[in-house]
Amino acid sequence: MSKRKLQSGGLTRREMLKSTGLVLGGLAIPGVLESCLTSTTSTPSGTIKIGYVSPLTGPAAGFGEPDPYVIGLAQKAFKDGLSIGGTNYSVEIVSRDGQSTPSVGSQRANDLISGQKVDLMLATSTPETVNPVSDACEAAGVPCISTVVPWEAWYLGRGAKPGQPSPFKYTFHYCFGVEQFFLAYTHLWPQVSTNKKVGVMYPNDADGNAIRGALAPLLKGAGYTIVDPGPYEDGTNDYTAQIQKFIGEDCQIFNTFPIPPDFATFWQQAKSQGYTKHVKIGQIAKTGLFPSQVSSLGAIGNGLASGVYWAPTWPYKSSLTGVTSKQLGDGYESATGKQWNQQLGASLSLFDVAAAVLKASGNPKDKSKIVSAMSTLTVETPIGNLDWSKPAKFAGVTIPNVVSTPIIGGQWKQGVSKWPVDFVICENSADPNVPIASTLQPYSG
Amino acid sequence: MTFVNAVLQGIFLGAFYAVLACGLSIMFGVMRIINLAHGDIAVLGAYVVFFIVEHTGVSAFVAFAVALPVMILLGYVLQLTVLERSLKAGILTPLLATFGLSIVIQNLLQLTFSPDVHSLGSSAGLITTSSWQVTSGLSVSALGMVILVVAVVVFGALQLFLSRTRAGWMMRATAEDADAAELVGIDSRAVYARATAIAVAIAALGGLFLGIRSVFGPLSGPTQLIFAFEAVVIGGMGSLWGTLLGGLALGVAQTLGAQIHPQFAVMAGHLLFLAVLIVRFGGGRVVLRTGR
Repeated sequence: MSKRKLQSGGLTRREMLKSTGLVLGGLAIPGVLESCLTSTTSTPSGTIKIGYVSPLTGPAAGFGEPDPYVIGLAQKAFKDGLSIGGTNYSVEIVSRDGQSTPSVGSQRANDLISGQKVDLMLATSTPETVNPVSDACEAAGVPCISTVVPWEAWYLGRGAKPGQPSPFKYTFHYCFGVEQFFLAYTHLWPQVSTNKKVGVMYPNDADGNAIRGALAPLLKGAGYTIVDPGPYEDGTNDYTAQIQKFIGEDCQIFNTFPIPPDFATFWQQAKSQGYTKHVKIGQIAKTGLFPSQVSSLGAIGNGLASGVYWAPTWPYKSSLTGVTSKQLGDGYESATGKQWNQQLGASLSLFDVAAAVLKASGNPKDKSKIVSAMSTLTVETPIGNLDWSKPAKFAGVTIPNVVSTPIIGGQWKQGVSKWPVDFVICENSADPNVPIASTLQPYSG
Repeated sequence: MTFVNAVLQGIFLGAFYAVLACGLSIMFGVMRIINLAHGDIAVLGAYVVFFIVEHTGVSAFVAFAVALPVMILLGYVLQLTVLERSLKAGILTPLLATFGLSIVIQNLLQLTFSPDVHSLGSSAGLITTSSWQVTSGLSVSALGMVILVVAVVVFGALQLFLSRTRAGWMMRATAEDADAAELVGIDSRAVYARATAIAVAIAALGGLFLGIRSVFGPLSGPTQLIFAFEAVVIGGMGSLWGTLLGGLALGVAQTLGAQIHPQFAVMAGHLLFLAVLIVRFGGGRVVLRTGR
């Protein structure tokens, strides 16, 4: 379901352009025209409109699930309006479903820009939703803040090149990247003694190829042997060839970035063909973002290692709502009856950033003021303290407009909470403030 | 030994494809309907089984026995409310109607069950991950064996039904020529409804196996439909034993392809599908076996 794309390097950039190119050409340009034709004053002064685009339906629908709860929290915090530069503005949040589809995301963004005349746009979860929204905002000159797309996919995937001036003036982003996965893995894996042989299953899609190109060489450099049977197509139903290879090579570490059903198929076959007996660390990414993807596996899901970008034990609070990470997780669980998931913290953090930048701008109706306030903004959110004066770096080169955020490594375990599985944090190299709960236990499924 | 193992795993996989394809083949054979919602109906079946498992805690196989009458009834209702009407409007309308149905099922499932993924693997018991290790490189999985046996039984039973029973003769007669069958007193409406009910029930069986093999979500249907459709075409449109063989051929092609290169697995199946299309329908005669 989740299609997060991690990209860097030429090939993947081209793939990304293929999907967003049409969107840019076909829809963003009318957006520019419309914003030229309409007057610059948007909604009547005294009201701020915030657009919010996320996937509520389609393959990435899981990311949008906490939205009603999170938007409810934000609306409650905005209920008395925002006092900025002596004026009290009422705040309206207009949310739209990007349907996990780039063309729809672009349409929704243009509708929010020209129809609703939003003052600020927020977007989250997967390049299919976020990138077209960011592109539409860049073209129309509307400030846009986004997250939960690995920053390489957002920055390089939209045509920017490291080392060259940023082509983005109105769009801002914060998220983890390949480096954070590398940090988490290299601090997690030494906790269990292995032969350092990593069997990898990277599919032939944008994520898989980007990881093969960017993460695998870093892991090799750190002393791991990568056993890569080669890319496979999403939707493959039999993995005998790969499993036999991993058994033959005795790969005690396993790492994959698959779509969830493919991993479930693979892991069951690995169990029945005897590979899981060799596995001491089963490190999954992209699948296992949401608890149901692990709990549905039953016994063989117990002990799988993964990474999270937020959990209720994060030591930060939402500066807009005053809600702590623990309160956020507990509140969601009691309001919906469902287990917390990491998207809660990320979705709420967007509203923290929005409120902070609107206040810092001095005049929220002036888009250039918002943009200049963004470049130096610091704000506390559930996922951490974000600081745009310290942008991300890529091979020593600064990436403007982008802040990198942590991925924290850990393990899905059964019987540690009232839920069928829960996430146990085992390392905190990307953010030492996040408390470690335990060390990594060998997989024994 | 690697080669033998690959063929064996391919046969298990192919049996799964054959079960998925069976209902598709029946509906095409009897009514000339290409049911684009077939994959979603299979997933719906998996959800019904999952729902029963969640609320009663019984094994997935017991739950399937309970779900079966529900799915048969659903098949009747589907035929009488949607497909029968669309059949009257030519060959394109059922295609569009089932396409729409596919979207409706996906969104209803998401609304009802949320986008979370589920599996029937743990509720199916030890079958899910047990296997007989014949030699180090050759393992026979219990689940693969179960699916293969069930596939052969289902296809055999259907064949017996069509060749030995009165209802089967009526179905074959209606498939040959519905108007002529009406002349001799066969109620083609009832025959069509029965065919759809059988197709939906076997789709649910495919859904059960999908749910045990992997995880499923509201959108899992279309990816499986492609393989089922290929199995039907490889085996010859509307031919029952052909569909079983087509499924097995597709499965073996995929696992052998993976031996060459993992990326070649799905591709090898597609190439077999294309090769069959070219051989069977090549030379400019792009006509389906009409049979009417």
